[in-house]
Amino acid sequence: MQVISKLALIAIVLSVMIVLIFRDWRIIALALGAQYLGAFVLVLLSWPINMAIVKLISGWMATAVMVFTSLRCSREELQPENVANLFFKGLSGLLMIVLIFILAPPLQRRVFPDVDLLIIQGGLIMMGMALMQLGLNSKPFPVIIGLLTFLTGFEVIYAALELSTLLTGLLAVVTLGMAVVGVSMMVSAEEADSVIQEEEQQ
Amino acid sequence: MTLSTPLIWVIVPMVVAVVCTLTAERRQLSLIIACVFTFGLALLAAYLPQELILSLGPLTISIEESLNFFGRKITLVSAMLPMVAFLYGTTGLWLLSSNLQSVPKSFRPTSLIITAALTAALGVEPFLYAALLIETAVLVSVPMITFPVKSEHSGVLRYLGLMTIAMPFILIAGWLLTGVVTLPPESPLIGQSAVVLGLGFAIWLAVFPFHSWVPMVSEHSHPTVFSFLLFILPTGILVFGLNFLNRYGFLRTSEAIFNIIRLTGVMMIVFGGVSTAVQEELKRAFGFSILVETGYSLLAIGLAASGGLHWMLMMFPVRALGYWLWGYTLARLETHYGASIGLGTIQGAARRTPWLSSGLILAQLSIAGLPLLASFPIKIVLLSQAASESISLGVWSLFGSLGLFLFSIRLLLSFYHPSENENDQIWHVQEKLPHYAPIIIMMVVLMAFGLFPGKFFTGLIDILTAFPHLQ
Repeated sequence: MQVISKLALIAIVLSVMIVLIFRDWRIIALALGAQYLGAFVLVLLSWPINMAIVKLISGWMATAVMVFTSLRCSREELQPENVANLFFKGLSGLLMIVLIFILAPPLQRRVFPDVDLLIIQGGLIMMGMALMQLGLNSKPFPVIIGLLTFLTGFEVIYAALELSTLLTGLLAVVTLGMAVVGVSMMVSAEEADSVIQEEEQQ
Repeated sequence: MTLSTPLIWVIVPMVVAVVCTLTAERRQLSLIIACVFTFGLALLAAYLPQELILSLGPLTISIEESLNFFGRKITLVSAMLPMVAFLYGTTGLWLLSSNLQSVPKSFRPTSLIITAALTAALGVEPFLYAALLIETAVLVSVPMITFPVKSEHSGVLRYLGLMTIAMPFILIAGWLLTGVVTLPPESPLIGQSAVVLGLGFAIWLAVFPFHSWVPMVSEHSHPTVFSFLLFILPTGILVFGLNFLNRYGFLRTSEAIFNIIRLTGVMMIVFGGVSTAVQEELKRAFGFSILVETGYSLLAIGLAASGGLHWMLMMFPVRALGYWLWGYTLARLETHYGASIGLGTIQGAARRTPWLSSGLILAQLSIAGLPLLASFPIKIVLLSQAASESISLGVWSLFGSLGLFLFSIRLLLSFYHPSENENDQIWHVQEKLPHYAPIIIMMVVLMAFGLFPGKFFTGLIDILTAFPHLQ
């Protein structure tokens, strides 16, 4: 299980870096799916599979909802990203990951002594990178992806602290609700853009 | 026949919300259903006997306080019912004005779901799960505040982001606090838990520097919707916060924590007051005035040792009436002057819409705490208590409140002075009685509250019996 958990942590690190660096919704969706799989494995360290699978299913459902909306909304091809921008995002993401690897062991000793270090590292990496994602973006799609990542990171850590059916249900509701809110905002932003484009053409 | 309080005040409103969604196209029918049920629930909560037994002719209905839900309980004790009555009563008040032009169709079902979620948050066990119910209320509220300005999302995204970030702070703080109870007072974990908890509440209550979304959302959303949301959410959060004070003795007895809360409150009053005073946009000014009200709530909590919690609870009804009047008059003004109402655009408005103008001025002055109006008796006590703790606290709080008065004077001058192309001698009153009748009623109520504070303010204080350590 330890090897699988380490692989899950690696998957999380790679996926959050991809989500932070790239803008193409297809790549982000794949990374988000992998991130939920990694989070599921880490939650399995604390919860039985029948409870942990709820997180995987709700996460993948949220991803699917966002993907289908992006499919509907993406009319024009994205411009290729500036290399300097990619480098900046990649470097800042790496710094965040290094910082979390440094901070996680003392945090485990002082605050969460009964929680596996891998869980703390995985959860904090998702939360930290999500905060960075939120700071760097102002459009609905990346912001909602950032919030979903933040919630996943928190859920991974909190699962090690408390086991409850109601909690699992409420967190699943929040995850799916976040995706639905994201969809409504993406669609309304798209409609507003269409109206503006039509007005400009006239 | 046996029912339960959570079934009546949490599940039934959700069902009514679904019905309102299905009947959204028939606005009058949807309005009647929503209002009848909401006021009905409020009256039932207000007048239900303490034994929780209802006798309707031959039918006797006994009502239990708990409902099992996914292995946990939602318990609404009878002591909490005045608060439930208040929440549903105020929701009903806002629903009455939901037929105004450009109020989103989703407002009725959404407001019912938000109130139901906050009611559930008052009674869920373990009480920490309330954080998730509050987050659910936030998520539900997003579609109604993104309407009608579809392209402007930055404020809403900040609101959603910050509220979501706050939730883990509260849950983690709650987990930390369960361990803290057994620790010695000098343990560093106690301070750390208090910091995490404080951060969570600061983000939730839009305390500086987490306030930026408030004026942004207020500027771009419908006044009715925004005034409701910014009344109901902080109210629910503040009552939820009482749970922490009630359960953890070290929070109740820590002088340092209350000092910090007091200082934060005064800072919010000053920041909000000064920001309001210099605003040109009416809706943004409302957003900043809300920060002042948050400041007063925090100041009241900070003065808990001298009865501050009573004042905090007593401010809720006054605030509800002031915010409602503000939302209503701004919504009506929007139909006259467009969505962007600045001090320039309303010049001379008192000559065309005198009742609307008076209503807005009165709402502003009531929130500011003008003598004879509703919030004056409470605010004067809070200011006196703050001054007796420390004279600088009192002076700064007064200074912040003066910002609201300054804005009211600017508003008054704009309303009275005609624009350049108007003849200043002529008044063209364009209002209709159905439009201004609610304003007159609310003005009378606000004055009655100010003149007879003892008659109206005491009901909500009873909820403190649900928090035995806070009485």
